[in-house]
Amino acid sequence: MNKEIEKLLFNPIRLKTISFLMTVETCNFKALIDITASTKGNLSVQLKKLNQAGLIKIEKYFQKSYPTTDYSITIKGKKSFEEFYKQLMSLK
Amino acid sequence: MTKEDQLTIINDAIKQTKTNLKPLGYNLIFWSTVIISMSLFHYFLPQIVQYSYYSSVIYWVSIPLLGMIYTTYYNIKIGIKVGYSTQLDRVIRIIWGVFGLAWIFTVGISLLFNVNPVQDILFLLGIMLTISGIIIKFHNITIGGIGLMIFTMYTYYNPALNLLLVNVIGISFGMLIPGLALYFQKEDE
Repeated sequence: MNKEIEKLLFNPIRLKTISFLMTVETCNFKALIDITASTKGNLSVQLKKLNQAGLIKIEKYFQKSYPTTDYSITIKGKKSFEEFYKQLMSLK
Repeated sequence: MTKEDQLTIINDAIKQTKTNLKPLGYNLIFWSTVIISMSLFHYFLPQIVQYSYYSSVIYWVSIPLLGMIYTTYYNIKIGIKVGYSTQLDRVIRIIWGVFGLAWIFTVGISLLFNVNPVQDILFLLGIMLTISGIIIKFHNITIGGIGLMIFTMYTYYNPALNLLLVNVIGISFGMLIPGLALYFQKEDE
């Protein structure tokens, strides 16, 4: 498995985010804060890293004049997570 | 962080994904109430609804269209509040979106050929309820849907039945009662 991805998912917030996004279609920032129990600043940094690695997709738009951001997992993200999970299970 | 810790994080995150079925229950109750009230109003006060041919068409088309606008707004609002959408949410949205389109199509055809669409709509509704019940694994809705289909088939063989009362009975047992059961079910069920 890609060492870079493994290193990326070693962070608990990033791992929680990816795991949750695996089970949903899309998710907004507020829900991710609740799920990861993280601060806004920290979560933003971790989401940016996941996005830069191509694991998640970020969509920004306006809803009733308020900026909203939706997050979803990419195909690369799904494959990477599945590989990572398989590896974890084999080491168990 | 150990491998066990990582597995715990993954499992905890997955467990937090819940498909909230209460909004579907609310939608079923809302539509049942609207259709039953409209049918009863039409049954007891036909002189108002059937004042002219177009008045009953307007009555049966405009109110459901307003209902569609309201439920679309309600479902969007709930989606924003929850903050995420699951695959199951998407499937339910597609099923009822298809029903909405089929309803418009059926009503349009019935106006063109001057036939009553009640039985066709009820049968279609029965199919949609059955599919929804099977997908969300909620037996009351599945049974309600199957019951509604059987009841509609029965009405085809009894043309003397008043279709407004057919609407009231079919919707009450096929949609309202299962909708109430879904809305008031315990969270952990």
